Amino acid sequence: MTSRREFLERISAAALFTAGTARALSWALPVPALPALPQSQAVPVPGEDGMLLRSYRFVDLETPVEDFNSWLTPVPHFFVRNHMHEPVELDAHEWRLSVGGEVEKPLTLGLSDLAKLETHEVVNTLECAGNGRGFYRPQVPGVQWGRGAVSTARFSGPRMRDVLDRAGVKSSGKHVMFRGLDEVPGKVPPFIRSIPIEKALDGDTLIATHMNGRPLTKHHGFPARALTPGWVGSASCKWLTEIKVLETEFAGTFMNPGYRFPNQPVKPGEAVKAEDTHPLTALNVKSVISGPGDGSNLKIGKVRVHGAAWAGEADIAKVEISTDKGATWNPTKLGHEQEHYAWRLWSYDWNPTQSGEYALMSRATDTRDRVQPMTAEWNPSGYLYNAVDQVRVHVS
Amino acid sequence: MFLKRWFSIFFLAIPVWVMAQKPAANLAADLPAGAMQAKATTACTECHEARILLQQRLSKAAWAKEVDKMTKWGAVVDPADRDALIDYFSANFGPDKPPYQPQHTSGGKGAK
Repeated sequence: MTSRREFLERISAAALFTAGTARALSWALPVPALPALPQSQAVPVPGEDGMLLRSYRFVDLETPVEDFNSWLTPVPHFFVRNHMHEPVELDAHEWRLSVGGEVEKPLTLGLSDLAKLETHEVVNTLECAGNGRGFYRPQVPGVQWGRGAVSTARFSGPRMRDVLDRAGVKSSGKHVMFRGLDEVPGKVPPFIRSIPIEKALDGDTLIATHMNGRPLTKHHGFPARALTPGWVGSASCKWLTEIKVLETEFAGTFMNPGYRFPNQPVKPGEAVKAEDTHPLTALNVKSVISGPGDGSNLKIGKVRVHGAAWAGEADIAKVEISTDKGATWNPTKLGHEQEHYAWRLWSYDWNPTQSGEYALMSRATDTRDRVQPMTAEWNPSGYLYNAVDQVRVHVS
Repeated sequence: MFLKRWFSIFFLAIPVWVMAQKPAANLAADLPAGAMQAKATTACTECHEARILLQQRLSKAAWAKEVDKMTKWGAVVDPADRDALIDYFSANFGPDKPPYQPQHTSGGKGAK
């Protein structure tokens, strides 16, 4: 449990750094053009080492699966998904969160007000709805994530329920909308989404101010973000500045047509009408092999196959490995670290006795009997990819 | 004289300092050469950088939908250029092209 004093000290230190940097940028003089980097060269992004650069502007960074070897993802290796530009001006002292709409008593809260509320911790695996989009065929537009738009952290902050209770949600309040401070270019619709009131009032839904015991970094929503555990990442609005209780689901681009899934399976490439879709909520059951890497050359003898598995609002029941193209499946050992919304690390000691080419496959099953499928359900926006994971290795 | 010298140092130092602070906006990738390169760059990279385009592998029909969506969202596209733009994207970023290989980041100093 973080004391209020520690909380404020940490926030203040981060604010000093972030506000200082932001101000420095806000009055920046024109910068002479630099030559574009060769494709092979690493791109400097402060504090983000070894990430896969999907986009520099907006910042979209993918965690290499080799980093799925610790239960909590270090913040510099935690994937980053931004839809818009990050806010330039962020001042922890000036930041305010408004709570309004279908409430008895609208509120405006500062960080010190949040610090007076009980802090709750949730270890959550956050996954972008589009993680794995790059594997769908035919390809669909969007950030072409591979396997690493997913990470796990210990988030902490007051429960959203405690804030909503202070405002007094009216019986007419059925959905809760989040607005962030991200800066919207052109005529792009603002990134605003809503979640049902039941999820907002769940005891594990947070207004998170900390991540792995430290104040949120700017990439991850400093000074506060919604944390809707077990759900697609877009339900956890960053740089949170407004909570509004609504009678109906928020009507906006990022609720419809964005972030929706077909009600029925569709043929790959087929168009789907909006009325035949529903909003994305919780994540699928899924596992990923983090080692050995795809294309590895291995020696005959013991090989540790390992990875991570998660299931949104459910728990992982088992993860199995196949080394014979899915003909037989072998149980893996699940890691001892577990929390309800967090992934489980797993490992399997494989003993190949013959040289050759192998396809290693992982398949997760959750406590709701959902099984990771051989083929993910194609959909026009490339969401919720969760096909059985596979790496090819050569043994000699 | 003393003040003038210090003013010079101060004003010379500002751009250097700012360059050191600013996350280099020009660590951008370029769109491929072609008749529509300049217009595509102008239309698209006002809001986002070229890597978003470089990683797509879309059919011509899908590119048409994207160009129209982005035009609605503020991309400045002369209607007379629409079809040529779609052809340019389809030719360079179609499903038949080899997979895009993303670069890695190097962290440098400081946490963000």
